[in-house]
Amino acid sequence: MTKAFTVARWEYIEKIKSKAFLITLFLMPLIMIGFGVIPGLLASRPDKESKVIGIIDVSGDILQPLSKFFTERYKLPDGKPNYVLRPIEISGDSDVEPAKRTADSLTANGEMEGYLVIGRSIMTDTNVDYHTQNVGNFRVAERISRTLRDVVVEKKLTSHGLNPMLIKDLTKTIELRTLKLAKGGKEEEAGFEKVFFTSYIFMMMMFFLVVTSGQLLVRSMLEEKSNRVVEVLMSSCSARDLMAGKIIGLSGLGFTQIGFWSVIGIAISLKFAVTLISPLSAVLLLVYFVLGYLLYAAIFVAAGSPVSTEQEAQQITSYLTIVLVLPIALSLPIMQDPNSLMVRVLSFIPLLTPTMMAMRIPIQTPPLLEVVASVVVLFVSMLAAIWIAGKIFRTAILAYGKRPSLPELFRLLRTP
Amino acid sequence: MLVASHLRKEYAGVVAVDDVSLNVKRGEIFGLLGPNGAGKTTTIRMILNIISPDAGEVTVNGKPFEDATRNLFGYLPEERGLYRKSKLLNTIVYFATLKGISVGEAKRRAYEWLKRFDLLSHYERRIEELSKGNQQKVQFIISILHDPQLVILDEPFSGLDPMNQILLKDILLELRQQGKAIVFSTHMMEQAEKLCETICLINRGRVVLEGELSHVKQRFGKNTIHLEFEGDGSFLSGIPAVKQALLYENSAELELDEHARPGELLRDIAQRISIRKFELHEPSLQAIFLKTVGSQGVVASGAATA
Repeated sequence: MTKAFTVARWEYIEKIKSKAFLITLFLMPLIMIGFGVIPGLLASRPDKESKVIGIIDVSGDILQPLSKFFTERYKLPDGKPNYVLRPIEISGDSDVEPAKRTADSLTANGEMEGYLVIGRSIMTDTNVDYHTQNVGNFRVAERISRTLRDVVVEKKLTSHGLNPMLIKDLTKTIELRTLKLAKGGKEEEAGFEKVFFTSYIFMMMMFFLVVTSGQLLVRSMLEEKSNRVVEVLMSSCSARDLMAGKIIGLSGLGFTQIGFWSVIGIAISLKFAVTLISPLSAVLLLVYFVLGYLLYAAIFVAAGSPVSTEQEAQQITSYLTIVLVLPIALSLPIMQDPNSLMVRVLSFIPLLTPTMMAMRIPIQTPPLLEVVASVVVLFVSMLAAIWIAGKIFRTAILAYGKRPSLPELFRLLRTP
Repeated sequence: MLVASHLRKEYAGVVAVDDVSLNVKRGEIFGLLGPNGAGKTTTIRMILNIISPDAGEVTVNGKPFEDATRNLFGYLPEERGLYRKSKLLNTIVYFATLKGISVGEAKRRAYEWLKRFDLLSHYERRIEELSKGNQQKVQFIISILHDPQLVILDEPFSGLDPMNQILLKDILLELRQQGKAIVFSTHMMEQAEKLCETICLINRGRVVLEGELSHVKQRFGKNTIHLEFEGDGSFLSGIPAVKQALLYENSAELELDEHARPGELLRDIAQRISIRKFELHEPSLQAIFLKTVGSQGVVASGAATA
């Protein structure tokens, strides 16, 4: 095994010095922050000055209460109202077209954010048009819609003769707080998002580790094939040592990468207040993580060693990436019902076990039997995958040109 | 030192190597000869346990192969290459440590060899910045730095200029002096003839000729004329007494009929071209190779363009 570590050390040190690695190391967090955080920050940033919203109120009943609700509910940080309603006069009896034209021009030259047209029959058909140039600003639209609904509901209730105080009490919105029931009856506050982020971070780490070190593995095998170093290596150490060395060295590289990113990520994670999982769950997750990772690494070796062109290498990596992305894509429905039969069955498919468990464990630790059984299944498949990968690696790494066919692969597996 | 017996390897129904046996002793340069695709590389790979034979076995110093046996091997493959982006000294040290040498010792030896090959000023450079010839020298250094007992060199001279060819030849002779076993694989018969004591000629996966070079030559008899001349020698292959002719620009190797008389032949030839050398001798390895391996037609055209 000392030779495996010599190989590992070489792979690690030579790759970590490469420009491509350093660029990814530093650029990736910047891109992640760029894509993930900045739009969120922009969207949730409070407005700096009041926004003027025009209103053409044909019914004549809405303007006043809406204005009151708006000033009560939405204020700028300095205390001024966030939204100012500007009534647009209707000149004729019922023709709103001239008013609309006025409003259009006011919106177009930037004096107003947009305007509402409230029809005569607002109380019955509940349809309101909001005209704006900036249809992407869903926050304004959402606030208008919610406030209008409250106004209409209040008006309807009043018309049925209800006491205004009672109405206030009846229409009080409910703030839902989710508490996670931990073992021993202790309750802790844990919103769905927090649990979700715990799982999500685990899955993303797994994903990045597998993809980066998988890619590095395929590439490094391809490189040694095309520069023919592999023959000298194979005359110096066994195929087993070479394969193990590569997996260890390049995983080290992958861990360096996600380790470095985590340091950056901690600040962000703290912001989302990730649920702290129990030490037992953490150990369990780690077991799944390591076993799952080794399984994927073996598959990358088996699939990557027969490759002899850059193009094939790309293909192989992208196919395997899809398998990894699948559980992440399904994560929402799964997490909503982590104990459904489908999820439990999927947890026993070795390629999916780590991610499935990552989603289940933070929500609710699965029954002991399932945990033990899935770890055993995963462990056995990992060993089998490494054994098969070793067989394929030994022959395929020396083969150039054509990829081995399935019957050839089976013959390979039977040779000692 | 190295005994390979009855090696056999089959790839998808095609027999690449069939019943090949070798015996390489210490202090000898053993020529593993054969045309392209004869099975030399496959044989070498089985000896080095890079691939496992379908049948037969390899022993080194009388013991079957084990993990530590690899440290006794030094190998220069025919298809060469190194990590392009890595630095010269680092690369050499890496391969040496893979053979069980400590980093410090590897560095010390690397300096000596780099000095000898006039590469010392390049040791901090990346491999890709070196010329092809220099890269090849680096690879040769890698194959011998760990002081192996068995050195297998596949076409070590190709791509080297005459100066470096001489340097390499001197080193090979030194290694032989030190008692190493050297397997020299080539299809360049002139080089094999100059260096090897023992040869093994493989064709289509089978051994077709083997033994000490001098014995092999004797077996082919003293009926070959080595000729040097001036003028147009193209008629030589048409002479009835000549069984086979290898024609070069100003020299020829003529294998004679059993009944031919060299004296008469000399007179005939002297009338048409001016002779500088006329010698009755054993055939060259080249001629033996062509006679054993090639068909008549291939021989004539191959020699004419040589």
